[in-house]
Amino acid sequence: MSAKPLTIPSSTWARLRDVAVGYEGNAVLRALTLELPCRSFTAMVGDNGSGKTTLLKTLAGILPPVSGRVELSEVNNAPPVLGYVPQRGGLDSLWPLSAFEVALMGTYGRLGPGRGAGEPQRQFARECLAQSGAADFEHKAFSVLSGGQKQRVLIARALATQPDVLLLDEPTAGIDPETTIAVMEMLSRLHRENQLTILMVNHDLPLARKHATAVLQVGDGKVSFEEISAPA
Amino acid sequence: MNVLIEVISPEFLLRDAFYTSIVVGLACPVIGVFLVLRRMVFMGVALPQISSTGVALALSLHSFGHIHLEHGAFETHSLAFVGSLVFSILAVTVLAFLERRRVAWNEARVGALYVLSIAASLLLLAKCPTAERGWLNLFKGEIIAISNSDLKITFGAFAGVLFLLWLFRKEIILVSYDRELAMTLRKQVFGWDLLLYLLIGLAISVAVIAVGPLVTFGFLLLPPLAVRPFAGTMRQFVVAASVLGGLTAVVGFVLAYHWDLPVGPTDVALLGAVCVLGNGAHWLRSRAFSSS
Repeated sequence: MSAKPLTIPSSTWARLRDVAVGYEGNAVLRALTLELPCRSFTAMVGDNGSGKTTLLKTLAGILPPVSGRVELSEVNNAPPVLGYVPQRGGLDSLWPLSAFEVALMGTYGRLGPGRGAGEPQRQFARECLAQSGAADFEHKAFSVLSGGQKQRVLIARALATQPDVLLLDEPTAGIDPETTIAVMEMLSRLHRENQLTILMVNHDLPLARKHATAVLQVGDGKVSFEEISAPA
Repeated sequence: MNVLIEVISPEFLLRDAFYTSIVVGLACPVIGVFLVLRRMVFMGVALPQISSTGVALALSLHSFGHIHLEHGAFETHSLAFVGSLVFSILAVTVLAFLERRRVAWNEARVGALYVLSIAASLLLLAKCPTAERGWLNLFKGEIIAISNSDLKITFGAFAGVLFLLWLFRKEIILVSYDRELAMTLRKQVFGWDLLLYLLIGLAISVAVIAVGPLVTFGFLLLPPLAVRPFAGTMRQFVVAASVLGGLTAVVGFVLAYHWDLPVGPTDVALLGAVCVLGNGAHWLRSRAFSSS
């Protein structure tokens, strides 16, 4: 993990100090200095190729920063648990996994090596599937689900990690408008009812403004943070 | 039917070869499942070949007198096993490091290793007829000369590999299916990748010594490819591939014994036929569903 947990203000879950993010030493975004507030629902918006996903992956610890420091606030003297929802196209459809098996993977972070998921973990995964509206198709093969159904399963998997922060990469990309609204409303509900901190990459600014409490605008190699007083 | 009864009889002269063939048939497809799902099929072709180059090197060194052994055939076999194991483990470790560094053209590197290992084997054996004969028998899948100690080594090694795969299936499946999630869950992705590769390397080196690269590759890849269209879960996939491999090993051995054919190519041809039939049936079923 490149992101190091440090003692930073409890109102902030992540702090970037003069950070450059990119791939294999090539920076996409430079000189980023910002703090992301706890219990916020932040939408990261910007054009294709602007560096949104790169920044999200750097915050998630998947990519090391090219330079600078990413600091994550500790929760109960431990690194925060990150519930990560990747772009669903990145998961190989060759794997014969049911929706339930995919959601169950979220519980693996709290299990030691060689310890299988027991009934408590399986029950919790079922609860997460129900919470994300995916209980009806938990026995279906993940690869044959529609885009919206896959997204619900991946959100259930992220919830099964019992996250302190939920990170989502384009959760509404390529799904129909009706399902997009349902997914966004589910995320708003999770944020509102569970006080869950959410950072979501999205390219739809009006949609983001409607549901999020803050917007992180990425473009032209720069990032600007704007809090929205009351989402519509 | 009489041939089958003769083959499964405990007094059967070639029983060690028969049992080894079944062990390889049951175990190799389980390892092959991970090669297929991780889309590393080419590695499944290259590793047995690289492993057999280790055998060629060991046999050549022995024949040229660089390595002196006291007890003939058994010691030669042990030497071949060491050669096979060292080359397999080296190859998978290098590939794991390349994958960690996300080196481009990894497939091309595997291809280069494959062709270079064949050339190296042939050059090593060109001036050494004794070693060449032993290596060619291995290459052709002549498995009838398998001894009881070969059977024990094969069984023990595969039991260990399968136990570790079962014990750490959660971690291995997680890092193989979604390494980004594994990283956010703070799993040691490289460590688990390396463990999987080492298990694959050990299994392949043992199988190559027992049944040769042709049969090893056949049992690694053809059963998973044949059953994948019909598997709904990982458990179904692994069990079905293993059962198909075991059954093919029995039927292939009986057919080869009955018609006096080499066992290895018979097994592989049989697996190929099952693979074509299975995928053909799945294609017809898909067409029937789509037109109805």
